[in-house]
Amino acid sequence: MLSKSVTGSFGAAICSLRSAHLTDAVVRRTKRMMLDTLGVGLLGTRTQVFNKLLQYSQRYSAQENSRVWGRPGVMLPPQYAAFVNGVAVHSMDFDDTWHPATHPSGAVLPALLALADTLPVRPTGEELLLAFSVGIEVQGRIMRFSKEALDIPKRFHPPAVVGVMGSAAATAKLLGLSPAQCAAALAVAASSAGAPMANAATQTKPLHAGNAARRGLEASQLASLGLEGNKEILDLESGFGIFYGDYSPKELADVSPSGHYSWVLEDQDVAVKRFPAHLGMHWVAEAASAVRRKLLDSNSYLSQVSRITVKVPPSKYVNCPFPGTEHQARHSFQFNCCTALLDGHVSIDSFSSGQMNRSTLKDLLSKVHVEHPQDNHASFDRMYGEVIVETAQGGKYGARCDTFYGHWRKPLSHEDLVKKFQSNASNVLTPEGIEGIVHTIDRLDATEDCTILGSYLQMNKHQTRPLDFSLSELD
Amino acid sequence: MLSKAQKTFRPLTLMTVRALHKSALDVVERPAPEETVTSSFGRFIQGVQPYHLTPTVLRRSKRMVLDSLGVSLVGSNTEVFELALQHCQHMYARDDVSSVYGREGTRLSPTLAAFVNGVAAHSMDFDDTWHPATHPSGAVLPALLAISDMMPGNGKPSGLELLVAFNVGIEVQGRLMRFSSEARNIPKRFHPPTVVGTMGSAAASARLLSLDRTQCSHALAIAASLSGAPMANAATQSKPFHIGNAARLGLEAALLASRGLEASPLVLDAVPGVAGFSAFYEDYAPRSLVSPDEEVPRFLLEEQDMGFKRFPAHLGMHWVADAAAKVHETLVGLTGGTVPPHLVQDILLRVPPSKYINRPFPESEHQARHSFQFNACTALLDGEVTVQSFSDAALSRPDLHALLSRVRVEHPADNRANFDCMYAEVEVTLMTGDVLKGRCDTFYGHWRNPLSDDSLRKKFRNNASTVLSPAKVEGLIAVVEDLERLEDCKPLLNQIQ
Repeated sequence: MLSKSVTGSFGAAICSLRSAHLTDAVVRRTKRMMLDTLGVGLLGTRTQVFNKLLQYSQRYSAQENSRVWGRPGVMLPPQYAAFVNGVAVHSMDFDDTWHPATHPSGAVLPALLALADTLPVRPTGEELLLAFSVGIEVQGRIMRFSKEALDIPKRFHPPAVVGVMGSAAATAKLLGLSPAQCAAALAVAASSAGAPMANAATQTKPLHAGNAARRGLEASQLASLGLEGNKEILDLESGFGIFYGDYSPKELADVSPSGHYSWVLEDQDVAVKRFPAHLGMHWVAEAASAVRRKLLDSNSYLSQVSRITVKVPPSKYVNCPFPGTEHQARHSFQFNCCTALLDGHVSIDSFSSGQMNRSTLKDLLSKVHVEHPQDNHASFDRMYGEVIVETAQGGKYGARCDTFYGHWRKPLSHEDLVKKFQSNASNVLTPEGIEGIVHTIDRLDATEDCTILGSYLQMNKHQTRPLDFSLSELD
Repeated sequence: MLSKAQKTFRPLTLMTVRALHKSALDVVERPAPEETVTSSFGRFIQGVQPYHLTPTVLRRSKRMVLDSLGVSLVGSNTEVFELALQHCQHMYARDDVSSVYGREGTRLSPTLAAFVNGVAAHSMDFDDTWHPATHPSGAVLPALLAISDMMPGNGKPSGLELLVAFNVGIEVQGRLMRFSSEARNIPKRFHPPTVVGTMGSAAASARLLSLDRTQCSHALAIAASLSGAPMANAATQSKPFHIGNAARLGLEAALLASRGLEASPLVLDAVPGVAGFSAFYEDYAPRSLVSPDEEVPRFLLEEQDMGFKRFPAHLGMHWVADAAAKVHETLVGLTGGTVPPHLVQDILLRVPPSKYINRPFPESEHQARHSFQFNACTALLDGEVTVQSFSDAALSRPDLHALLSRVRVEHPADNRANFDCMYAEVEVTLMTGDVLKGRCDTFYGHWRNPLSDDSLRKKFRNNASTVLSPAKVEGLIAVVEDLERLEDCKPLLNQIQ
């Protein structure tokens, strides 16, 4: 019997949680997360970074392979399918964000679908839902072991820290591992956790999600072969505690088969992005759009702007005055503010090289000053974005955004979430594939074989072209 | 030619850059390559020349190669190696590219071969240890051999090219560890091979793959996102995977960089507010490497030799074993042959404080390799610790358990948890009241008292002969001895299985 330890309690919970424990709210929210993840993942299969990783991964083959999203007929060994699909999900920073901060779904869903493709008995939609929820839950719980996790990160990129643990938990669940093996999967996964923040805002960032998915799956597979790690990995400061300055792990309550279970997702929803950039950009874009309206309503012109003040929380890696790459642009308060001022919104296309190189945009960028008011905390739960524009004529227009549309306090309507998915997926799939996924996710708990999703994910329309962000090898 | 003073690193911030280029809007944001620590490493990896390897560095690195091969070959007998190999063979189709240690005819994809061979290297904690502490060779050699196997028959690297790449991988590890004073002590948070080993493997692989200097820098940056594992998994079955993954992922980073994947150009630099490689340390002060074009590089291996183990356990165990062995000598002198536990009243160990090697009653071979108490008592009983001391039978000896129950541990204030200055004292009080003492400041095999070439070869023979024929065992010794003169490393690749 497992000793009463935090790690042991996680192993036991992963194993004991049942579909009956899933509440309506959790089911609803996880379905939204899955749909959004698949959409951004499909769009992401058009990126250069995805192509590079796919080409690299194609040197590997296996007896049992899993499907690569958006690439009809292309299969990879499950770990590498999880890897490239995970990269796709995070390739444009368009995926979901939680509080405490991480991108929970991209580390979990690709691993589960890749695993599902190889299981002799295909999992049902309900089993997929449950395993996915377990993967999200574990991430939420372990982030709550540290106060440091509440703030925008500075050292380790959270998806690389908790994402791999979530992937290990979710895949251990789908594999039906014993409590001890589930705990071992977590221990093995811990040795694969962690990546520095410096690689955010670079082409390598998407690999953080891809590797989390891949290595969490690998951890489960190794645990099922009998590999063990430290049985108290979550308990020890020299264990999972190494990633945090302050660390206080807590046991999960015993999961009784017929009782109630409190999921973190129930109390804390995720944010869904409306454009592909770091979450912080969404506050600033909304504020800037509002300022633009005021400016135009009073018959002023953008060309009259003399100074732009952006009031945001201090966060070095998203403070980039003159981004040179699309990755930097997605992590630049300044860029997103100016784009929204110019166009009224930020969109997928805003990060194309054509749009990034506009002289009107660069002109605005040169007028931006960033301030960090004391009351603007570097936390996705507390921050705000304020934009003040001054004109040469003496005009002053300001707007503040406390909660952007898509944030957990103001979630996307169901209609808008589906629209986002359809818009993303239509870059890659036929209408049949698109509607197939919407329909399947909607009825996931009644789906007999969840791998039907994989089929839809490869129903490409003809002539899909790569997104023109920078020189692509496929052009 | 820049004077020495001007060559020292100037911290560069994004604000500095902006101030410099305020007027020109379309200037690239990043600092010029010559000015960062990260780019200096890329330049070093690409720019080192074979003639930069001094005789000392050549000699020392060849000893490391031989020892690494030997411990890996004996490691291919372990359960954990078997598990890793099975995993790769189940999850991936046959890919007859890179050889697996000790398994004739078994080949895997390069990164997977690097993985299982790295696991073998660290499987018994028998591999080399450096100062600051890490196990440098096991993370690097498997990646290089895997790449060599990958190259076409008429394009294999020469022995010298292999040695240069190997030394690049070792040097990068050594340099990175010197960026932090924290690294000098026995680690508490991140297991060093997972922090610097991955980087070393990326550097060495980038060199052998002939990447250009920018790609070399990106290889390091990509590897940084694959680094870091917790100390809690040391002393478990997962520990060997740390080196296996370091080798594998460093190689992968280099392969991805060769395809044009990019990562942070400032990963090794200290950028306030955004952690790069600094994420793994509490204090971090990076320094650029001199350009090999401007100055002959001085390899750390020249100044700081490697420690080789005499038995498969954590380095700290070697002090305690040597100290206890001295007491054993005296004891058998007194008793005329054996050491009966009932004669012993108390055993006091004076060792540095380090929780993960302080285990009164280890329950597995992994724990036993990380137990001051276990290794002291084994040496007390047998006069030495050997490969066989960690077998199931040896672990459960009643005599051993009798002694273990009599051990006390003290941490004298002057005994620091640092492989360069620690010591061990064993004080045995007999029932008769006699007190026997043994102390070890520098065990045989430590860098201050290195194994002779003869002893090293003996260790290799003992290890390699568990899986290789005598012909291949001697063949490998000869090949490594002559490595820098080998036109083509095929003779090395052909004899490791």
